[in-house]
Amino acid sequence: MVDLREIRERARELLEKGRVGCVIGYRRDGADMTVTPAFVTRPEDAGTLAWDPGCVHNLAVYLDGKGPVAIVAKGCDSRAIVVLLQEKYIKREDVHILGVSCEGAGVLDRAKLRRRLGGKTPRKADFGDGDDFLITTDDDVIAIPAADVLAERCLECRTAFPAVHDDVFGDRVERTFRDPFHSVEAFESSSDEQRWTFWKRHMDRCIRCHACRSVCPMCFCEECVVDSINFAVTAETTAEHKAGRVKWIEKSPTASENFGYHLVRALHLAGRCVDCGECERVCPLDIPIRLLNRKLEKEALEAFGYEAGLDPDVAPLFSSFRDDDPGDFIS
Amino acid sequence: MLETSETTAAAATTGFEPRVVAFLCKWCASAGSDMAGVSRTRYPANAIPITVMCSGGVSPVHVLSAFNQGADGVLVSGCHPGDCHYVSGNFRARRRFYLAKKLLEFVGLESQRFRMSWVSAAEGAKFARVVEDFIDDLRPLGPQTRLRADP
Repeated sequence: MVDLREIRERARELLEKGRVGCVIGYRRDGADMTVTPAFVTRPEDAGTLAWDPGCVHNLAVYLDGKGPVAIVAKGCDSRAIVVLLQEKYIKREDVHILGVSCEGAGVLDRAKLRRRLGGKTPRKADFGDGDDFLITTDDDVIAIPAADVLAERCLECRTAFPAVHDDVFGDRVERTFRDPFHSVEAFESSSDEQRWTFWKRHMDRCIRCHACRSVCPMCFCEECVVDSINFAVTAETTAEHKAGRVKWIEKSPTASENFGYHLVRALHLAGRCVDCGECERVCPLDIPIRLLNRKLEKEALEAFGYEAGLDPDVAPLFSSFRDDDPGDFIS
Repeated sequence: MLETSETTAAAATTGFEPRVVAFLCKWCASAGSDMAGVSRTRYPANAIPITVMCSGGVSPVHVLSAFNQGADGVLVSGCHPGDCHYVSGNFRARRRFYLAKKLLEFVGLESQRFRMSWVSAAEGAKFARVVEDFIDDLRPLGPQTRLRADP
């Protein structure tokens, strides 16, 4: 069982000793069970930190290489940190990882929980004895089996334990609910035509709010290929120069441009996506974005034996190659 | 480049001529296409060649952009493994496009629409054959509309 008091105590100690300038963690916010990211800078505020099944966010998105900071990281979050270390975006000495084990469970899917509670407002969520969550409503406390309300990514999670950490809270519990590529394999079995219809429908719906990009710890480019807002246009920038810039993908949310965006996004995350599932969680239109990322992770594992977020010292997927990489598709 | 009598006949019946964007590496595939030309090899004129310095320099964004702008097929062609002018560019391209191809198929693009080929500077005949086979495979598919920008 993760003892929240230990996390708070450790955070307070790190801040007090000046080891870190900020502790990035979670705190309860509002009257329902909502949890938001917390940035604790004063030792006396360490008591506001929270840890419960509502801690869905991948806080690694807040790491910007300016340290030193401490960060509360679940298994998936720590894998994201590994990728950032591997790509030299952050330095190991600048981040103190307060690893938290999900202990064989994971985090809640709010939509699933809402359906399950049927109109009742969840006030508080707690980890039960490992197989269930304890949800406090206005009337009573209900024990709900974890498998019924776990986020999809948690059901497919392989290692719900921090890959790298300085401190670790909770025990390592090995348990898998589903095969890691369950949803991809189910989708792959459909025909070309069905897959096309499925994606066309979703790409028609995408409003290109770029929330999936904003929430992704791996999308740290200063300027994005699909969106050149960061390109410095000064008084000296000539019209010719601006007109001459290549726009690979238009910003307009039409299906064809959305295909461009989502496919490029998926490919830029190939060998980097750690399946924290944040892109899909924040999508206001519930587009199954994870499916694209999972597909590439599955192919990377099968064809190149590559798995993202396990070892900061191996070469990234696209920075390396083997002589015997599959080449049958090339004539 | 000259059209063969067969392609002209097929075009007359279906009225559809596939347009292919071919990314050719400067050192091998592009030189191979030159070889096809100077050898007077007849092959379909449907491929628009874009010479790049290395197949490893072709990004999936370029491929998607070609499809977006209405290409019916995209060919990426470079040096044979081990022959890359920059030592390892084609190995990197192979890994990258292996995944890109899988992803394109995953979202429902017909698998024949994206193709890769290794063509050396001496393989003019092979280049002609690659283009011919590609066009033959694309013709029954009809125009590519799935990733094309809405008019």
